[in-house]
Amino acid sequence: MKLLLCPKVVLSVNELTIAMPKGRIFEEAYKLFVQAGFNLPAEISDSRKLIVEAPDERIQFILAKPMDVPVYVEHGVADIGIAGKDVLLEQHRDVHELLDLHISNCYIATAGLPNTTMNDIAPRVATKYPRIATNFYKEKGEQVEIIELNGSIELAPMIGLADRIVDIVSTGQTLKENGLVEYEKIVPISSRLIVNPVSYRVKSERINAFIAQLKNELNKR
Amino acid sequence: MSKIQMFEKPLGMRDSFPDVNEQKEYIRSTARDFIKRKGYDFIKTPSVEYFETIGKASAIDESALFKLVDNQGEMLVLRPDMTTPIARIAASKLLKEKNPLRLAYYADVFRAQQREGGRPAEFEQLGLELVGDFSPYADSEIIYTAIELLKALGVESFRITIGHAEILSAFLTNNTDSTEQVEMLRQLLVEKNLVGFSQMLDSMDLLEEQKERLIKIIDYTNNSNVFSDFRHFLKDNQQYLIDQVEELQNLLEFQLNDFSIISFDFSLASHMSYYTGMLFEIHAAGSGFSIGNGGRYDELFKQFNESVGATGFGIRVDRLLEVLPKQLTKEKRTLLLFDKGSFSKANVLAEARRNTSEYVTLQYAESVSDIEAFKQIFDEVIIVSEGGSFRE
Repeated sequence: MKLLLCPKVVLSVNELTIAMPKGRIFEEAYKLFVQAGFNLPAEISDSRKLIVEAPDERIQFILAKPMDVPVYVEHGVADIGIAGKDVLLEQHRDVHELLDLHISNCYIATAGLPNTTMNDIAPRVATKYPRIATNFYKEKGEQVEIIELNGSIELAPMIGLADRIVDIVSTGQTLKENGLVEYEKIVPISSRLIVNPVSYRVKSERINAFIAQLKNELNKR
Repeated sequence: MSKIQMFEKPLGMRDSFPDVNEQKEYIRSTARDFIKRKGYDFIKTPSVEYFETIGKASAIDESALFKLVDNQGEMLVLRPDMTTPIARIAASKLLKEKNPLRLAYYADVFRAQQREGGRPAEFEQLGLELVGDFSPYADSEIIYTAIELLKALGVESFRITIGHAEILSAFLTNNTDSTEQVEMLRQLLVEKNLVGFSQMLDSMDLLEEQKERLIKIIDYTNNSNVFSDFRHFLKDNQQYLIDQVEELQNLLEFQLNDFSIISFDFSLASHMSYYTGMLFEIHAAGSGFSIGNGGRYDELFKQFNESVGATGFGIRVDRLLEVLPKQLTKEKRTLLLFDKGSFSKANVLAEARRNTSEYVTLQYAESVSDIEAFKQIFDEVIIVSEGGSFRE
């Protein structure tokens, strides 16, 4: 008889892994954590590392693409994540959405060239958020063709690819610079704290304490 | 849809290769042994049922059902869960012979997957149903058996979260004005979208004190001293629900050495809409997904015109595989290679070895193209020839 033992990931109840989106949201969220009193390394934003340790707090940060944060959390390789509501709406991951961090506030809206209507025969909408856009037009009962793009969405109406775009708007500056106007607001967006359902139960004390500390800071604002 | 590739399988379908299959077999036999000792009998039901009956009674969303049509034109489904077929059998026959009834199953269930290709659409489920008992003793038996079963299987670190479907709906109903509001709030709790929950409250036309009470439920999570506080939120004729949960807690405290693996959370809501009383979820370190859940589902029997108490749980075997240490006891495997003249001699030798519970492969040497590679797979290789047999 042979006993085969494979290495198993040892999950310590006291360690927390947090998936953070790279870029602007990272800066804001990190600042929030520091203000909430977490003892974190001072400068980590300029490093190119993908995993950053905060040994004093027994926290490990994973730096990920914003769109990938919910994936890490859903699969439990990160206990907690910071994700934009836009990403959560688009992906419908099986994660708990526990806290609105009230950072990176913006909204999703439809936009297009001024004084235009949708094409009657082949109305087209370009977007980075096909699911949100589809649901929006479905609810309105409008049949449109959704064209998925990965960036520079504003280009689509300008070159005649689409009549409307569905995109994230924070100040409206980008729309203005490209000669577009906003038509309908779809949903307000901010960054959310998401938690893996298993971590939420297995590491409940640790995670609840973490959330309570953050909540405390948020209530001051 | 693109053309089906040569080795492609339908979305979400998986082969179980020998190693994985062995592990599942280990789970099956260990669980079977354990569960039978608890006085439960194993049962099998058809893989295919009518959509009209099982398909509709099941709590699984219709979009996740695999549907087929039989030669009479009737709509069929691949069974999406085992609880509903067991309720059917219990109501139609078995309860008349034995009441209360204890049944167990280990079976494949089918749920079509919408998301990412690889998620399993067919998976084994292992579970128990205790039918014909309304008492908290039945509830505690189910939870306790689930805990003991996980321990017997070797799951090291896990937690049980217990909620109560009726307390939650009483609480939501007491503090809202319509069933639509209750349903919307309940749905957000199923997803555990607490941000959405408080935003929904803001947008609802409710009294301030109602809102304040409602917001409390999402603060009460993971606090086991909630019972006494929660009484204030329920009406006099609803107090018995808290009594039930307290009784359940007492029974479990009596049975368990370590009560810390259990927590109560009245905001716990399940997508399985047929739960009526206590309900619970099992989470284990090692898998990002819940490995099992259960609860009381007296309501389901109304669909089969019976009024009986029923409680049970189901565990997903594929998730269980993730959290178990990859432990596999392997029998010794022996290869007997024979040539033309030594066939009968090899047969005698193989039988003798098999009688000592060795796993023996008998193979005509000439047929193996790469004999060295083939030998590597076995623990022992014996070459049988007319002159004599020798061990490699």
